[in-house]
Amino acid sequence: MQEKDLICKIKELRKIKPTQDWAVFTKERILGETSQTRTWISVLEFLPRLAYKHNKLAFASFIVFALVAGAFGFAQNSLPGDPIFILKKITEKSREALTSEQDLARVQLGFANKRLEELNEIARTNQVKKMAPAIQEFQTNVSKAAENLSRAKNPNVKEIVLETKKIMESKERVEALGVVIGGTENLDSAILELLEREIKDLQVRTLTEEQQNIFRGAVKDFEDGNYAGALEKIILLTNPQD
Amino acid sequence: MPNYKKEFSKIYDKYIDKIYRFIFLKVNSQEIAQDLCSETFINAWEKFKEEKIDNNQAFLYKIARNLVIDHYRDKGRTQIVSADNLPIIDSKTSLAEKAIFSSDIELIKKEIANLKDDYQNVIIWHYLDDLSICEVAELLGRSKEATRVLLHRALESLRGTIAERNKSGIFTS
Repeated sequence: MQEKDLICKIKELRKIKPTQDWAVFTKERILGETSQTRTWISVLEFLPRLAYKHNKLAFASFIVFALVAGAFGFAQNSLPGDPIFILKKITEKSREALTSEQDLARVQLGFANKRLEELNEIARTNQVKKMAPAIQEFQTNVSKAAENLSRAKNPNVKEIVLETKKIMESKERVEALGVVIGGTENLDSAILELLEREIKDLQVRTLTEEQQNIFRGAVKDFEDGNYAGALEKIILLTNPQD
Repeated sequence: MPNYKKEFSKIYDKYIDKIYRFIFLKVNSQEIAQDLCSETFINAWEKFKEEKIDNNQAFLYKIARNLVIDHYRDKGRTQIVSADNLPIIDSKTSLAEKAIFSSDIELIKKEIANLKDDYQNVIIWHYLDDLSICEVAELLGRSKEATRVLLHRALESLRGTIAERNKSGIFTS
């Protein structure tokens, strides 16, 4: 076979392609779009039937509801500085309103984490104008979380520590992109307060010998300024199943 | 993260065929190619969310190559020839021609899978993915001249194995 023929035949292998179904399914699986896509398909299939069966008023109400719900859904992808970001904030405020005081700090730390994800996106795509509002939103969320953490009588220490760790990691990642976010002193002091409260609380609890050893270690870490170590031990004592 | 998804979705659409073909020609099995291809894009998506990727194509090929290497390492370099290989037939040719043509292409496909890794890469990237010698050289980390030589040797090697098959009567040109 001549080289030219061989190359021609090699080029025929371009016809090798994955099946369309597999390619679509895999993409959905990776990006987690299945439910969203299917929901929209089912809504689109459902709409004409609804219009046929019910009167115009009901149909119009449904359309208005769908548009409002759609706008709120769409707003979940918005970034600080976007005009529809206000809708995202409304959704978060509603969630805050439905959350118990004990859990509020954790939810707000979750929002602060979201703000950092948005900041990361803003920094990656170099949307300079959105930088200041995003930092402002992050600081507001962190301050609120710290305030509620100081106020909460019996917060879930483990969840709080996990969210805070996540914030610190994400913050480092964003700052590595050259964004100056500022300190989180108020959150740090709220965590310290929480640690002190937990230590005081454990002092009056009945502990097994093993738990007492862990507790003594936690107190020592706290006195030595090793707050991370102290927190880990406190979590062990407050969440024995872990 | 919404824009990440959109961006990655475009990258997926752009490269899915190329990456699938690249893997398929190395493993010669639809099932394994699908597994490794989806794993390539899952790994890429995880990395994509964390950091900016400068060259998506090179990045995807690198993951795919490593996965194929791992696959053969795990399997102890077993050549798998699956019954579910895709038929590649030109619709313009007659039935008899189709049979010969198809067997030619099938053989080339199988022989590519038996070539050395670098030979496979250079053939796939240059002739199937239309990458320039310069781009292939960059992917391989070689000079342009060395890549040209490698391409020439890869073709010679492929031609040699096909000629051997011809002699043994398995392949009719």
